[in-house]
Amino acid sequence: MPALLSPLGPAPSRWKRLRSELFGSRVDGLISIALGAALVAIAFGLLKWTLFQAQWAVIQANSTLFAVGRYPIEQQWRLWLLTALLAAATGLSWGLLRALPRDQPSGQRWPFNDRLAAGVLVALALAVPLWLQLSLAIQLRWWGITALVLVLRWALARWGSDVPRGIQRLVPLLWPGLYLVGMVLISGGLGLIQVAPSQWGGLLLTLVASSFAILLCFPLGLVLALGRRSELPLLRWGSVVYIEFIRGAPLITLLFLGQNILGFLLPGGLAPDRVWRAAWVLTFFAAAYVAEALRSGLAAVPRGQLEAAQSLGMTMPQSLVQVVLPQALRVALPAVVGQFITLLQDTTLLSLIGLLDLLGTARAVMANPAFLGKSAEVYLVLAVLFWCCCAALGLGSRALETRLNPSDQARYQR
Amino acid sequence: MASRNPVVMDPILEARGVQKWYPNGYHALRGVDLTVHRGEVVVIMGPSGSGKSTFIRTFNALEDFQQGSITIDGLSINEDTRNIEAIRREVGMVFQQFNLFPHLSVLDNLTLAPVLVRKRAKPQVEREALELLERVGIGEQAHKFPGQLSGGQQQRVAIARSLCMEPRLMLFDEPTSALDPEMVQEVLEVMQELAADGMTMVVVTHEVRFARNVASRVVLMAEGEVVEIAPPEQFFTAPTHPRTQQFLQQIG
Repeated sequence: MPALLSPLGPAPSRWKRLRSELFGSRVDGLISIALGAALVAIAFGLLKWTLFQAQWAVIQANSTLFAVGRYPIEQQWRLWLLTALLAAATGLSWGLLRALPRDQPSGQRWPFNDRLAAGVLVALALAVPLWLQLSLAIQLRWWGITALVLVLRWALARWGSDVPRGIQRLVPLLWPGLYLVGMVLISGGLGLIQVAPSQWGGLLLTLVASSFAILLCFPLGLVLALGRRSELPLLRWGSVVYIEFIRGAPLITLLFLGQNILGFLLPGGLAPDRVWRAAWVLTFFAAAYVAEALRSGLAAVPRGQLEAAQSLGMTMPQSLVQVVLPQALRVALPAVVGQFITLLQDTTLLSLIGLLDLLGTARAVMANPAFLGKSAEVYLVLAVLFWCCCAALGLGSRALETRLNPSDQARYQR
Repeated sequence: MASRNPVVMDPILEARGVQKWYPNGYHALRGVDLTVHRGEVVVIMGPSGSGKSTFIRTFNALEDFQQGSITIDGLSINEDTRNIEAIRREVGMVFQQFNLFPHLSVLDNLTLAPVLVRKRAKPQVEREALELLERVGIGEQAHKFPGQLSGGQQQRVAIARSLCMEPRLMLFDEPTSALDPEMVQEVLEVMQELAADGMTMVVVTHEVRFARNVASRVVLMAEGEVVEIAPPEQFFTAPTHPRTQQFLQQIG
């Protein structure tokens, strides 16, 4: 096609380009047709099974169990409140991210990805509660929460740049604050009735354990990574031994070990209960891997950066925080987030030590004679739930990556 | 510009018998002495591997040394981190590889240390930083990032960044060696103006013209020792030491 070769010719239509990519030669065409047919067949089979053959009663009957486990019904308003708060924080941060001029040129308040995400959100909010045959009251709550996200997203994108900078800067602090509020809401205290961790379950337990581990393994990993590069021999050896020991042991053995050993190590009252023991083990485990990811990031920062910072009179901590770490984090971020995603999936191992996380709940449900032989339905839902969580983590990290990269961004915009 | 002689012999830097061994046993500095007076521009030349970069890097403790002493403005370099930080506040350094902070804008590169280390108010530091950038001829690039500048521009930013700390002594470690030839001159001009303003400078460089025109004294180092110290006229036209004569022949 000579038109394709001419730089002055009109740009080929999308259809033409697609045709030239898929059917460039006879072999290409055959491969395209075969793969296309296979994809259609798989999609058709899956759709047929999902819509006509699968029996979703197992999910519909147990949706509360999957969501929160045996969390007392009369206390569940606390979880709804927390969900609403999280939705509000999401909408706020999302909108503000789009409103700030550095991120997007003005007029780009709704880039394609955002419209897609909003569309998916609305579709899910409409379809899932109906499909689960939830009561109208609960359906309304889900719609309200979805609306909260989108309305705040819209309002902040519209007027966010008018918000004073001092308040803008406080928005990231919303999240750690919300985390503390969430822990109180979930577990009780401060006038709320205590709900023991043994009563948490399902998605709630999975999210509590993984977010706890994700939040704590990062600072711990940072200390280990810096320790491994330290000039103090005891600190360096300690870090090396810790990292290599943890990385050499399978997580499941550490989880079993943690259940037994933490009881011996800590005096009676201080020993955390089984859920927290497992969460701590997850934290310590992930910290070793995060440390290695951060170490590679630190190694990527040229030595001259530290020397330049120090030659300006900056102390070692100042040089690290202001100069070395921002650059190291940018390099290490994809690997660290990959570790977070692995960590989220590793929480399924909690089911093997007898905790009722998502997988544990699923196994309990499937053991119920009423739902025998419904494992395909259950596992499919589990897979989709985990995929959603991991996709959210991945999207968040990509947004953070562009935020940490002002120089690259400026270059792209030129 | 004629070479200058300091009016008052007031030493700001005194190095006495400095000896350094690298951990692998290599004897990099074999008892080096050097005195720099206020207002002087001392240029250190020498073949590669002669220890001149190592020597200049001991002045702000980026390299340690095992024997001898270095005193800068009354403070002697020792194990005390506080002492070293105090010296580094007063001694600026410009590196061969610029070492600008790539994640910060040009302006933030300049203001970071004065705000953080000297605890000064940011608006005032920013005003001074913009003046300095103007002075080194890149005022309009203040809000760009280092990666968007040419090598010569980056090195001028690096000089301005050091000046923003208001140092009493500036060290230049081969400031033009990593630059494309057409950018060397713009950096040398900035350094020359700085010298004309009376800044005390120690410069490791291969730029003979700069040494000839700007230096108060030229030092030749070879094999970790100071071979000859002389005013530039004498150094380049009538060197006393055969090693200097050999070096001058080599660089043509």
